[in-house]
Amino acid sequence: MKQLMGLIYLLGLLLSIHLLGFTSQNPYTAAEALRVANKQFQNQLISLEEAIDHYYHTAELFNDSKATIDDLRAAHLQARLTFKGAEFLLEYNDRQSVKKYLNGPPLPSVEPKVPEIRVIEAVGLQVLDELVFGNTPKEERAKILDLVQQLKHEYAEVKKYQYSQPLQHRFIFESARLELNRIFTLGLTGFDTPGSVNAIYEAQVSFKAIANAIRAYLPLIEEKDKALAKQVDQLFNTGTHYLDKHIDFETFNRLEFLKLVINPLFAQLLHAQKALEIEIENTLETRPMAINLMAENLFSEDLLDVQYFSNVGDTPNFKKRADLGKLLFFDPILSSTNTRSCSSCHHPDKAFTDGMDRSIAIDGESKIKRNAPSLINAVYAEHYFYDLREPQLERQIKHVVRDSKEFNTDFLEIIEKLQHSETYRKLFAEAYPEYPQYQLSKWSVSNALACYIIELRSFDSPVDQYIRNEIEEIPLSVERGFNLFMGKASCGTCHFAPTFSGTVPPYYLENETEVLGVPATTDTLNLSLDTDQGRYTSGKPEDEAPFYRHSFKTVSVRNTALTAPYMHNGVYNSLEEVLDFYNKGGGAGMGIEVPYQTLPDTPLDLSESEISDLISFMEALTDTTGMTSVPRKLPDFEGKPEWNNRTVGGDY
Amino acid sequence: MKKVLLSIYFLSMVVLAVNAQTIFSEEIQIPEGYVTETVLMPPSPLSMQVIFVGGVDLVQTTPTYGYEAGIAYAKEWHDFIGFTPDETEESLGWVSVNHETIYQDNRIGDGGGMTAFRIERDPITGLINVMDQELEDGRKGKFFNVDFVNTVGETGMNCGGIVSVVDGRIWSAEEWFRSSNASIYDGRFDAPVQNAGDFPKSPGGSENQGVRDTADFTISTDIPGFDGLTIPKYENFNYMVEIDPRQAKAIRKQYNWGRQGFEGGTVSLDNKTIYLGVDATPAFWCKFEADTPGDFTQGTTYVYKHDAPEKWVAVDNTDPEKMLNFKAEAVAVGATMYNRVEWVTIDPNTGIVYWTETGRDSPGSRWADEEAEGAVHDPYHLQRAIDKGWDTPSSDDYRDYYGRIWAYNPETNENYVVLEGGPDWDEEESPAEVDYFSKHLSNPDGLSHIIIDGQTFLIIQEDLNGSSYGRVPAGVGNRTCEMFLLDLSIENPTLNDLIRISAVPAGAEVTGAVATPDGVSILVNSQHPSSANPFPFNHSLTYAIHGFDQITLTNLSEPEIMNEDEFTIYPNPTTRVVYLSEVKDVAIYNAAGQRLAVLRNTNEIDVSNFPAGAYYIQTEDGTTKKLIVE
Repeated sequence: MKQLMGLIYLLGLLLSIHLLGFTSQNPYTAAEALRVANKQFQNQLISLEEAIDHYYHTAELFNDSKATIDDLRAAHLQARLTFKGAEFLLEYNDRQSVKKYLNGPPLPSVEPKVPEIRVIEAVGLQVLDELVFGNTPKEERAKILDLVQQLKHEYAEVKKYQYSQPLQHRFIFESARLELNRIFTLGLTGFDTPGSVNAIYEAQVSFKAIANAIRAYLPLIEEKDKALAKQVDQLFNTGTHYLDKHIDFETFNRLEFLKLVINPLFAQLLHAQKALEIEIENTLETRPMAINLMAENLFSEDLLDVQYFSNVGDTPNFKKRADLGKLLFFDPILSSTNTRSCSSCHHPDKAFTDGMDRSIAIDGESKIKRNAPSLINAVYAEHYFYDLREPQLERQIKHVVRDSKEFNTDFLEIIEKLQHSETYRKLFAEAYPEYPQYQLSKWSVSNALACYIIELRSFDSPVDQYIRNEIEEIPLSVERGFNLFMGKASCGTCHFAPTFSGTVPPYYLENETEVLGVPATTDTLNLSLDTDQGRYTSGKPEDEAPFYRHSFKTVSVRNTALTAPYMHNGVYNSLEEVLDFYNKGGGAGMGIEVPYQTLPDTPLDLSESEISDLISFMEALTDTTGMTSVPRKLPDFEGKPEWNNRTVGGDY
Repeated sequence: MKKVLLSIYFLSMVVLAVNAQTIFSEEIQIPEGYVTETVLMPPSPLSMQVIFVGGVDLVQTTPTYGYEAGIAYAKEWHDFIGFTPDETEESLGWVSVNHETIYQDNRIGDGGGMTAFRIERDPITGLINVMDQELEDGRKGKFFNVDFVNTVGETGMNCGGIVSVVDGRIWSAEEWFRSSNASIYDGRFDAPVQNAGDFPKSPGGSENQGVRDTADFTISTDIPGFDGLTIPKYENFNYMVEIDPRQAKAIRKQYNWGRQGFEGGTVSLDNKTIYLGVDATPAFWCKFEADTPGDFTQGTTYVYKHDAPEKWVAVDNTDPEKMLNFKAEAVAVGATMYNRVEWVTIDPNTGIVYWTETGRDSPGSRWADEEAEGAVHDPYHLQRAIDKGWDTPSSDDYRDYYGRIWAYNPETNENYVVLEGGPDWDEEESPAEVDYFSKHLSNPDGLSHIIIDGQTFLIIQEDLNGSSYGRVPAGVGNRTCEMFLLDLSIENPTLNDLIRISAVPAGAEVTGAVATPDGVSILVNSQHPSSANPFPFNHSLTYAIHGFDQITLTNLSEPEIMNEDEFTIYPNPTTRVVYLSEVKDVAIYNAAGQRLAVLRNTNEIDVSNFPAGAYYIQTEDGTTKKLIVE
């Protein structure tokens, strides 16, 4: 019957084309390609509904002890795999409903925009993955059933909303390219298969799904560029074969797959989109987006749009502002005592850290609360500070200005002082000509400093160069380390590529914080949790949820060779110690009681040589080129000669 | 058989029509005679002027916490805007801006706050000028923090408020409901914790959160039953608080209206009744009726109960116990529950009260307990839940993604829905592709009104609390909160009747909109600045949109499509939209023939971001029109 209907449909279609007087030689139009891709998606949505129904029935039986755990696991895996076939467009169309209801991380969250703390417990396939493949599925059977039922209800909504939603050509290409990113950064790292570790099989399915969708466009690409069409086709073949052949999670060579399949396809699909003259999202948006879909490589500097993150606007005066910001960064005039500057705790030669566990406070005796973080690539974040308390880079400085342990002053004082310098007045006038009223103001000082920080960007380490095929070789230990980082050692499930920080791919709109259970000291006989409550004490009402206690921003591991000591309290002096901490399962794994630890407390079972490979990899992420210079001289203050002998960078 | 074939044939026609999905060339040649028509988009009558930048502009402060009067950086997170007309006509009037914060500040005072200033209109340029003032307390300057600390005690999270349409009296609402002293100090649930650094030098600083003074508070007020009462400090939060915008100081907390997480309210035309909205689930619809018009210290407080004979149930407002625990009283009398009530406004032409219910994805568990204790659902929610296949809105599966706009008619005492947000549909299946919705109203929050051509329009401001289910459409990267006008003379309005005002900073959350009495401007706050907007739009700020006096009913409305046979475009300079005579895929090219944008399945092109110049609009079937944007 279905076939008959299809035939009738086709007849009708031909008839309508005929009647409409279309005389095209090639009946296979772009519209037809989209229709094929759309139909595939609709079929995937139907299959997913069936898979979830089956999962629900199995969970019911399991709850009544009428199905085995193997039955349940099979149904779960089937539902997940079917989800993976539709994931690229489901996510593209409505990423929030996927995250909230279908496949979000298995962590509680706080309901946004309500004037109360309301904890939303995680639901969806990832939570189920942990439970169904956990140690006690039988005891959790009622909860499993409840979660599958919620999944079923919510999926019905999602399907209802998305089934007939009109797609566009760019949706297909853009969602496919985002899915390539997702497969590499989240799928293959095991991010969303915490229990089943079924990552490679899932990658097979999502990869084939995008291959099928794009193949609907192959005849059209071929018309424009035969070689390109052939390359795209071959890359999909290569990728499919690769994923079919290398099915072991631990030995899967992620670096090879990235260079062989993911990056070339990421580029060629963009070329195909351009060859077909299909519009690209970034060119349609009136504002910058975090991810730049015009980028050709997951490790190219332009993958993330700094305009989006910087929040300072696109201005022809940027360079002047950044240069002025650099002077301010090294000028101790910003502190109450005229003795310390930003660079006091952020040394350019240490990737803008200071080698201290925690920096000495302005009183010269006490220490400030947390370890000085690197400022390189700091801009690529949704929120700043270890506790995420500040959403804008430009406003980060105000916390330092006011803290009694840091600059211990306020902007009224700073502006007053800066006004005594003709050079500064001139530099501010030149950099901020369009705002006479705010030329030398709290805003302009903050903005100039932010512009300097924005310039501190690094995507040119040996690892980046090798991934972009700019150098031919990297040491084998680095390659092994990369694969461990992105695989067995699970580092990449929190330190996401390509920033290797908590900025979450593939949209890069959010920052993650993690509860690791970092101890107060290295004293293994008297282990105790560091008392710093982290995000819980950010001062933001919405962070007052118990699971944000001791939760800290996931910082980048780029340039980590230069940034010892490590962790928010600087407790570890070497990367070996850090990796030993993770290898043991963090604080909880070491026997400390850590409520809500987000790091699995099970040991990673990394050998000494594996740890050494991981360190080789991280050391190969070093790049501070062009970022280490220091101003030779600071501006003079006429009429305040006593200020003119202050040292560049301050006395501390 | 023939019949089947024919209908399938028509079906495929439809599919073709919807799914045209032409690919438009990145570059086109524009030979002589290629363009069938040139259409002019005159300059927008609307223009923007920035007036007050939070965190950067300085306010004059009173002696506070032992600090002398002086200056401080204004607080941020601008939300509500109060406008108090100047009856003397020496100026336009006084503006008061809410700060939805709980900062610590030695000079402004801890918690939330307000900034007040006086404005006049430049007779030549028409621009707004912030005037120099000297207040009775000796403060001189342009911007003044409203003194709460030395008058009625600190406030917290000043979000919405009330502007009296009668005389411009202003109340500020304290939204963030607090339940212990620990929860106001440093904003914590538990005991005070160690801070990142002590901040002794904080004139104007605004980093640490919370209210440091948690000593018991003794009320001094002219409201019967409350004067001299000593309460734990946290119970002095969450009121409607009247302020004097002229002298930049608070007058009283309305203890007699109950202690709730208020968001909005409005004063009836006879100056007798105050209607109140509460941002919570459940939210109860409340009113206060003054014994004497204009004196809101004495009267009766009521909560709405749709199934009671008189619809309103009085709660004894001389009993502090009942006022401090208002919600419990409302539940006890079985009041009617709503889902996050936001702003309230009144149509001065009819006296009908309008209010927003912003919605909440999963309200079920939030009002299930109260339902069990006797509170009731509004029949609208009940029916809506049933239509969606659930027994009750208290079901965990009940969803309310988009919210809606309600009206309350004081004549009939009825609440009814004016405009459902959405797209909201009850069918099991997705709508057909051809019918797929393109218009959305999501999470309406800010609400006020403006008179245009003698006709009342609602000013509706979105505050998205999510992006799912079309609140941010597929293929759109950045979320946008929009501001709409709705003509209240339209009977049974639909989403298509919303008129989007594009003269707002892209991507910022807009709130607080209030019209100036001369009908020329709307003052608006940009509360949550959007990323990548240049200064000052990366700060919370108050700005004006001028030119509403140039607007008429006709130039706001969509064009009547005259010639259905021929593709035509209709520019509307006010809304900055070019309307198309039919739904199409179109590409927009610049004067050099380079493609700028492609829009699909649309009959509207928003050109608000287009610099002045010549453009070409090409449709999927190759028709090209020239558009001159001035």
